[in-house]
Amino acid sequence: MPVEVPVEKWAGKVNEVTLGGNGRKSIVIGGETTLPFLKIDGAMPHRPAIAVEVDDVMPADWSPHLIAAWGDALKDPAVWAKKAAEYGADIIVLTLDSAHPERGNTGAAEAKKTVEKVLAAVDLPVIIIGPDVAEKDNEVLIAASSVGRGQRLALGNCVDKNYRSVAAACIADGHVAIAKTPIDINLAKQLNILICDIGLAPDAILMDPTTGGLGYGIEYTYSVMERLRLAALIGDKMTSMPMICDVGEESWRQKEARATSGVPATWGDHQERALAWEGITGVSLLNSGADIVVLQHPRTIALIKDAISKLMA
Amino acid sequence: MPDELHTVEILPSQKKATVPRGSLLLDAAAKAGMVIDTPCGGQGRCGRCLVKVTQGQVIDPESPRLTPQQRADGWVLSCTARVGGDVSFVIPAQRERELIVVETATTRTAVPVQCDWPFYPTVRQFYAELPPPSLDSNAADLDRLQAYVAEKQGLTKLTVSPTLLPRLAATLREANWKVTLTVILEGGDQQARLIDISPGRKTGAIYAAAVDIGTTNVVIELVDLHQGKALGRVSSLNTQRSCGEDVISRIIYSERGNGLETLHRLVLETINGLLQEVAAQYKFETRDIHQMAVAGNTTMIHFFWGLPATYLRKEPYTPTATFFPEVPASHLGINMNPNGPVYCLPAVAAYVGGDITAGVLSSCLFKSNKLTLFLDMGTNGEIVLGNSEWMTTCACSAGPAFEGGGVRDGMRAIDGAIEEIRINSKTLEPTLGVIGGVPPQGICGSGMITGLAEMLITGVISRSGRMNLALPDTYPGRARIRPGEHGTEYVLAWASESGTGHDIVLTEVDIDNLIRTKAAIYAGIAVMARNLGIPLNSIEEVLIGGAFGKHINIEAAIQIGLLPDLPWDKYRFLGNTSVWGAYNVLFSKYARQQVEESARKMTYFELIADASFMDELTAASFLPHTNDALFPSVKAILK
Repeated sequence: MPVEVPVEKWAGKVNEVTLGGNGRKSIVIGGETTLPFLKIDGAMPHRPAIAVEVDDVMPADWSPHLIAAWGDALKDPAVWAKKAAEYGADIIVLTLDSAHPERGNTGAAEAKKTVEKVLAAVDLPVIIIGPDVAEKDNEVLIAASSVGRGQRLALGNCVDKNYRSVAAACIADGHVAIAKTPIDINLAKQLNILICDIGLAPDAILMDPTTGGLGYGIEYTYSVMERLRLAALIGDKMTSMPMICDVGEESWRQKEARATSGVPATWGDHQERALAWEGITGVSLLNSGADIVVLQHPRTIALIKDAISKLMA
Repeated sequence: MPDELHTVEILPSQKKATVPRGSLLLDAAAKAGMVIDTPCGGQGRCGRCLVKVTQGQVIDPESPRLTPQQRADGWVLSCTARVGGDVSFVIPAQRERELIVVETATTRTAVPVQCDWPFYPTVRQFYAELPPPSLDSNAADLDRLQAYVAEKQGLTKLTVSPTLLPRLAATLREANWKVTLTVILEGGDQQARLIDISPGRKTGAIYAAAVDIGTTNVVIELVDLHQGKALGRVSSLNTQRSCGEDVISRIIYSERGNGLETLHRLVLETINGLLQEVAAQYKFETRDIHQMAVAGNTTMIHFFWGLPATYLRKEPYTPTATFFPEVPASHLGINMNPNGPVYCLPAVAAYVGGDITAGVLSSCLFKSNKLTLFLDMGTNGEIVLGNSEWMTTCACSAGPAFEGGGVRDGMRAIDGAIEEIRINSKTLEPTLGVIGGVPPQGICGSGMITGLAEMLITGVISRSGRMNLALPDTYPGRARIRPGEHGTEYVLAWASESGTGHDIVLTEVDIDNLIRTKAAIYAGIAVMARNLGIPLNSIEEVLIGGAFGKHINIEAAIQIGLLPDLPWDKYRFLGNTSVWGAYNVLFSKYARQQVEESARKMTYFELIADASFMDELTAASFLPHTNDALFPSVKAILK
């Protein structure tokens, strides 16, 4: 007797957000009418994208495994970005960390130069992230925005304190804003509303629900992302933005990925453990609805790429 | 025909102007030299530009701001009504307009709570001429008294407050056996306790005090139990405020050193001070107050009694008592007749106190056939949902913002308080309604609600409550939005216009507090209704009691998401239902029986135990709400 598979028909659809274009490779994110990879119920027209983090200064506290993997590329964001492209990145995430008051306090001029250099080095879509200090974010993101005018970058992070200036820059220069909120469905929705209220189109917004690494609240992130996605599929326009998750940063900073000594022998080989941490975090969040995962290690890029292919098959 | 011209006549001045068909009455009046104020900027929002058409045709979009009767009488809003032919209309004087506006649909003025209980006080006073003792009849003084009241008053069992005994013999003799007795009925109608004996014939009022101990304000209604009426009200800030703004911080204070004694002393001082004030005002001695009924939240009643409140705060939140014994005033140290009974209205749980059972009593919710939502909006917000057959209740910690606490220029609803704010959307300039018509000194709860709503609608603040610094300087009122000590602020009144000599402002911190307060109340309503499986739009009547002055603007309260988006005519504003409940209990022993029955009947719902409450709270911490589908009327305005 044939078994009839029950089909859930959703009314809503995740927004399709385009990054890149205008001479640069472009990529479309989102567009799902079903839960992640559940193609029985609806469509998942675009594969989740792999973004790779590139910093404008050599990261001071990175794991030796990351440093060994990238080598001298870490000293030059343009070289780093090229290498990331070679490893299979779909998107480059350029973090303007040197603008942080405690890590260089560089300003708009330096930001412009770095962004120009990276944009020239790769033809992939680019996301620019500020140093996570509201005033400095405004300064360097607005500078980056003008440099990349028309190339549909994504600028982040928009938080409740600075969303106006970042979103206004996105409107002016045709970019996408990344709205970041601390693991809460309502706060995520509120920020999307606020950004839309000042005139940025809903399809020019990505949301970063804030990622908890494996063992550090991933189940909380997972459930908030799942609820956001369910709300979108039910038809809530203000939660229909595709989601971006900073997997690499949240994985590599955890004890399990960092600790080289003083841990039980059963924890196994340090590098394998660290890679597994980033990989499992990434795959878990893809399963809860991430449309872009930001990674740090070249080997994880390959791992996640393989996982996505299998899940999409 | 757009070019068609009509004559407009303004009364009573008889000024005339010729204007094209379709002109706003407002513009036509301006052309005739009569400027009509439009506090909201001519958007039909405030209803302040009313005129009355006496003759001719106007094209008038229906406004919910006017009642059908008012429309039938010719009232229109001159900012939305247009000239449709030759027309005459009256511009009423400012004051008359204000009165009409207050009567319209959006604003709910406190309606006096009607008490239809049979007048049956338990304090009775009567004059007695006792037969003096002699050798033939030398029964004890007390026996003599008892025999007299048994015969004349039918009180077969009279007990006596022990403190009266030492002076009984002297009082009777000095008064030549002519005395006024004050008794309190106990148990059945034949039993009483003597609480006062005074020489000669006392006439006039039998004073009693109905007391509402609020976390922020203490109110006393003076009652005459001879005529059965309320005489007048005094109120003051609860001096416990120096030990914390809300009940939780007070409980924490009570746990330190002699914190509990301090809180107990402060509330008694506040009450005794008010008793003295009201006695001086009505020219009698405080010891002539013979009875007191007290309504207050459970924490306040614990402090009133001097009981430890620690277990109210700690899981599983247990009060020492919900039903308190009636005790003589001397037991608690209240400055009134020391033998006069003091009764506390019963509580339901740690956070639903006698103020709420008082509200259920005085609002008549306990006998309503309609599905009713009762809200008491004080520092602690309490919610009752139900009807004559069932009642559920919950409490949420709303914070003192609506009572003036935690808001820089917040104050109580007394003279000098801004109770209404209108912001002109074209200029961003405010128009203020101030209690007493004096220069403003601060903002009370009603003012904060309208202010927040107006700031939202005119775009001064975002839906998250942040001031919009990106507004251009072309608005004359833009200068009112400026950086301040507590974040960005909006100046409601400049120092030169204020009664305090400094600028009166609403800051972003104030707004955060207001949003948190309104969110707690809304979330409480939403979670409780959902748990009962009751959609909010099936609520038939909403009764509001609590901290607002004389009225509350329902429309504004909905716009900020404090109240559910229900038709305005479902709302009734009752003012201080707590003190009225205490009054009812003094007025009739049947009311007292009822309040005890209601307290037993109410089912308490613990919000903290509900996992979805925090989620609801965050969702409601937005203007009007994260899910704007819940507020269709506000969504329409914001678009």
